[in-house]
Amino acid sequence: MSGLVLAQFLGLSAALLGIGLFGILTRRNFILLLIAIEVAINAAVLNFVYFAGFASGPGGVSGQAAAVVVVGLAATEVAVGLAIVLALNRQRGSINVAEASTLRQ
Amino acid sequence: MSLEELAFLVLAAIAVGTALAALLVRELVHTILWISVFFVALSGIYFLLQADFLGILQLGVYAGAVTILLLFGVMVTRKRIFSREAATGIGPFPLALALVSIVILSGVAAGLPTQPRTVHAYSPAALSEQLFTTDGGWLVLLGLTMLSALAGAIYLVREGRE
Repeated sequence: MSGLVLAQFLGLSAALLGIGLFGILTRRNFILLLIAIEVAINAAVLNFVYFAGFASGPGGVSGQAAAVVVVGLAATEVAVGLAIVLALNRQRGSINVAEASTLRQ
Repeated sequence: MSLEELAFLVLAAIAVGTALAALLVRELVHTILWISVFFVALSGIYFLLQADFLGILQLGVYAGAVTILLLFGVMVTRKRIFSREAATGIGPFPLALALVSIVILSGVAAGLPTQPRTVHAYSPAALSEQLFTTDGGWLVLLGLTMLSALAGAIYLVREGRE
């Protein structure tokens, strides 16, 4: 077992967060927007797992527990996001976020 | 370069490449195929970090459930599934913001010590004990959030809300 370098992992997280941020700011399709948010959230979950793995004390497992909770929250967010997509599609016939300034009838 | 480091670099390249491909291709179904490869690459990184339970969770929740949910969303919202998106311009401001955040965060990461360290493996038993005792409050909160999200999702898509 030769080991891994923490800085490389943090660089990967930074790259994924940047890609997610770019997607959130530029994409206009609601489903693409959800995917970009998932990429950014996954970058954050990766950080929890790295620091749990590289922690030396017994409390490191708490980082993996946090990762489990965040994964659950992200899955919930996708479910609610798709409900909004379906409502938007029924009301407007389009899932372009630029046209959806309001969801009220 | 050790075998583990090589495996990490390959997985990281796949993750970054598929994430970029997913957000840049113009067919939504191709986006979802790319993003499922992205989720599988991330689960590979979790296995590399000895977080086996999280690797399996990533495969089940993301590569399985979220991918199918997104495909379902594509299938019900368009008439032809393989239709192209209108090209979206890459504005200078979002690109600049993304690059600046990558540079700042990578700069912070580059300042950290670079000697290789062995990763700590936790058994699923230790993880579940943590989840159900010390961090039990977060799990209850997650359950309540999921319950309210379920109610909210049903409210949004129910019949007669036109």
